[in-house]
Amino acid sequence: MINLELLLYAFMALLSISSVIAVYLAIFEKKLVRAVVFSAIQSTLYAILYYLLMAPDIALVYIPVSVGLYPAVILILIRKTEGEEKV
Amino acid sequence: MNRDVIGLIVLLALIIGFSLLLSIAGKYYIPNPESRKPTEIFGGNNQLAYLYLKYTYYPNDTSRTVLSPEAVTAIVWDFRGLDTLFETTVFYLAIIGALALGRGLIKIEKPVGEHGLSIIVKTVTRLTSVLIVTVAASIALHGHLTPGGGFQGGSAAAVAPLLILIIFSIYYFLEKGISKTLMLIIRSIGLIVIGLVAISCFIIGVIQGSEAFVFQNQRKIVGVYGEHSIEVSLPSHIAGELISGTLWFFNIAEFFAVMAGFTIVFMLLFVPEKAFREGGGK
Repeated sequence: MINLELLLYAFMALLSISSVIAVYLAIFEKKLVRAVVFSAIQSTLYAILYYLLMAPDIALVYIPVSVGLYPAVILILIRKTEGEEKV
Repeated sequence: MNRDVIGLIVLLALIIGFSLLLSIAGKYYIPNPESRKPTEIFGGNNQLAYLYLKYTYYPNDTSRTVLSPEAVTAIVWDFRGLDTLFETTVFYLAIIGALALGRGLIKIEKPVGEHGLSIIVKTVTRLTSVLIVTVAASIALHGHLTPGGGFQGGSAAAVAPLLILIIFSIYYFLEKGISKTLMLIIRSIGLIVIGLVAISCFIIGVIQGSEAFVFQNQRKIVGVYGEHSIEVSLPSHIAGELISGTLWFFNIAEFFAVMAGFTIVFMLLFVPEKAFREGGGK
């Protein structure tokens, strides 16, 4: 009854929902380094999603920029300020 | 207050997403393959997606094709090439902004002592950075054959300088002679090559005394009934290897330009703030 295509789309839906959870955690995290890690998790899930949606070109540019370069730049900037968010 | 609103939105998205998954996702939101097939409007075979996919590699009619099996690169650098050219310009404007922020920086003095992380990390980085650059070069050089291209390869290659900057510290770069100026020169050469390739067919046309377009790749047929032929085109093969005319040159130039541009920004971020303060007024 369950065919492979439907399973693939269910997996994609799960990935998107997990990315929403990661975004929630990234916004509500007080420690900035942890927030960056959650943001990187969201980017990783998006990279898998792009690949499954048959956009390998976007996945290839998304992996270095969003999983590698962007968290690294944010971490460097956090090192120059304070590690905790004050409201 | 703001935080509560964002939390509410995220929670709502969660609930709606779960309900979508449970109820209607399988029935309605599967992309329809029929949308790519040609319709009979305007005499058939004229949907834009269909035409792009059909003519991306179509050696029988060289006046419409790009001769590249990779449809995305063909669209990015040929069918919609002008868009990408201006997008590239936007990226370089961002780099110029970063350079303007880092102006007044004259000299970085190396403090005494060992810099960077431990010897284990350094050894691993020595191996992996070579691998990263190799994979990135492969992505860029095969951009017209497989998924990838200049920007993808360039941003993948920019991970290697970032790793070296973190693990070996910026003084390693300065000792090896990799400075901001060198990266700026590479970036400018890449940008100039992109500009020259974009007008290469036009220049050939001017020299030969025939008509040609800016941003042209293969020969074109224009006119309402296709009566007017423009024969200027760049070679699609070099020594039997498919290079798809301008696409290969665009990819290589974009690769170097993007890699150098990212490296400039990282080098500026890694400069110690003391150097900025001391060099600022001079």
